[in-house]
Amino acid sequence: MNNAIEAVGLTKRFGEIPAVEDLCFSVGRGEILGLLGPNGAGKTTTARLLAGMMAPTSGYAEVLGMKSDRDPETLHRSIGLLTETPGFYERMTALENLLYFAGFYDIDGRTQARRYLVLLGLWEKKDQKVSGFSKGMRHKLALARALLHEPEILFLDEPTAGLDPEAAQEVRSLIRGLNERGRTVFLSTHNLEEAEQLCNRVALIRTNLILVDSVENLRKNVSGERIEIVLENEGAEIARTLRVLPFVRTLSVTDRILVVETKKGSADTPELIKRIVDSGGRILSVKERSQSLEDLYLILIRNETGKNDA
Amino acid sequence: MRKTAVIANVMRKEWLLILRTPNNIFFVTMVPVLVTVQFLFYIWLALRLAGADIIMDTVLAGAVDRFFSSFEAAASGTLDPEQKLLVFFFGLFPLYGLLIPCLVSLSFATFGIVEEKMTKTLEPLLATPVRTSDLLLGKALAALVPAAVMSFICAGIFLLGTVVMGKGPLIGIVITPRWWIFLFVLSPLFSLLTFMLGVAGSARAADVKSAQNFAVLVVLPILGFVVLQVLGVLMFSPLTLLLLAAALVCLNLIMLRISVRIFKRETILTAWK
Ligand SMILES: Nc1ncnc2c1ncn2[C@@H]1O[C@H](COP(=O)(O)OP(=O)(O)OP(=O)(O)O)[C@@H](O)[C@H]1O
Ligand SMILES: [Mg+2]
Repeated sequence: MNNAIEAVGLTKRFGEIPAVEDLCFSVGRGEILGLLGPNGAGKTTTARLLAGMMAPTSGYAEVLGMKSDRDPETLHRSIGLLTETPGFYERMTALENLLYFAGFYDIDGRTQARRYLVLLGLWEKKDQKVSGFSKGMRHKLALARALLHEPEILFLDEPTAGLDPEAAQEVRSLIRGLNERGRTVFLSTHNLEEAEQLCNRVALIRTNLILVDSVENLRKNVSGERIEIVLENEGAEIARTLRVLPFVRTLSVTDRILVVETKKGSADTPELIKRIVDSGGRILSVKERSQSLEDLYLILIRNETGKNDA
Repeated sequence: MRKTAVIANVMRKEWLLILRTPNNIFFVTMVPVLVTVQFLFYIWLALRLAGADIIMDTVLAGAVDRFFSSFEAAASGTLDPEQKLLVFFFGLFPLYGLLIPCLVSLSFATFGIVEEKMTKTLEPLLATPVRTSDLLLGKALAALVPAAVMSFICAGIFLLGTVVMGKGPLIGIVITPRWWIFLFVLSPLFSLLTFMLGVAGSARAADVKSAQNFAVLVVLPILGFVVLQVLGVLMFSPLTLLLLAAALVCLNLIMLRISVRIFKRETILTAWK
């Protein structure tokens, strides 16, 4: 069977300004695709376009073989959307909220609501008003709402934003579990580690699509590892002597922490350590620091600009 | 999914939320009653303080005459001035009473839309298979039922009030087809119209307060009609009332189209404040 999601030249403008432009990508059935990009990159807009919440200015999106904006009501029976802000009727209980939303699908609302409240650890709280819920509880309830009708495709707009590490981890394993049971997942995130843990591929966007690939390949594309060195003494003086070394590409120092990017990555580490010790540095710890989304993003953008200039 | 089940689902939720908001319960039940009692009170006060003779010396005299000639008041010949005046005032009530369905509907419309906006429930709601027209219809019907019920209750309170005032026999004169047209035809039509105007206003408003400020504009024309009738400029015969009803049906259909457009997914996500 064909892809679960297919975007072809997908463009959305608000007035003159494009929010997303000419996106072309596809998501296979059973795949988890992560959408990465800085604030305002168009992640939410993309999710809304795919989920049939708005019509593209040009181009189109096909979801489960249907043009997403042609008959959104029908499409919505087979997809679930976790919106960026999980809104609920504050004066209604968790269960009442779920039953209301379940009432728009051809499902046994009570059974499904119970099933997902239990799965997300909210069953005990089912009769509490949502107004008393914490951010994390709301988030889980919103996930339950998006799952009630057993959708084939899930669109999750920042599913772990604002959750504590434990809750975030729970949500991630839930997503993995859903995927193992055959669901296609399209999620947006600012968290590269999360993308790496969960996604088969990631798409990097900033209005335009920068690239779609596996996180592993992304990392390979970007040369230069970073090394973080924690010192016992002040780092400023030592940093001055390190900066002039030929294999040091970038260096930043905050108090007692040095972050160094070398040309050959970990191959340069022994020499780097020696130089630090020689210049009087007392090392507490050394560790490789993987690229943050921002680092990767900036590097990719730099490459992108370079390509365009060439 | 059956349409009726979807609409019933929406109605149930609207009622649940209204019932859990003390302000709204008060507004929907007590304000109509106050509006009714106040009307009786002013009639009583006017007759008490001024007396029928003085009132009949004012501009009202002409209005009362025109009122009596405008409908088949069988017993009008045998009434003294005070009784005539009372019948005239009683006859104003159905028109004035249109405020009741309007206030109830407006309260439902502004609350039902602004609350969804503030809690940010519209986007997840519109991510379900619900048709926005069904959503709107469910909300409108949720308002229509209490609006109609309150109209009937207040009409009952009014009749009871006239009896308490000792003017029970006079009320029979004004309970004519006009009265029933107001209660069963105009009241629901006004309810729907104000509901949709309320939706249109709430779509622009950021909070309940500004939505209700807008709502006052809807109520003013009704008060205007009341004044015109008091002055004897406008007299509603059953025929003009039915014409008015026909005009309201058209207006409702136009407003329905506008509301459905305002209630499009994309409009809500991008243009609503
Ligand atoms: N309704 C709207 N009207 C006008 N501009 C909009 C609208 N919605 C989004 N935009 C613009 O489109 C661009 C993309 O916004 P979008 O919300 O999709 O970004 P995002 O990647 O989800 O950002 P974030 O990480 O902050 O959630 C932004 O520049 C935003 O200002
Ligand atoms: Mg976003």
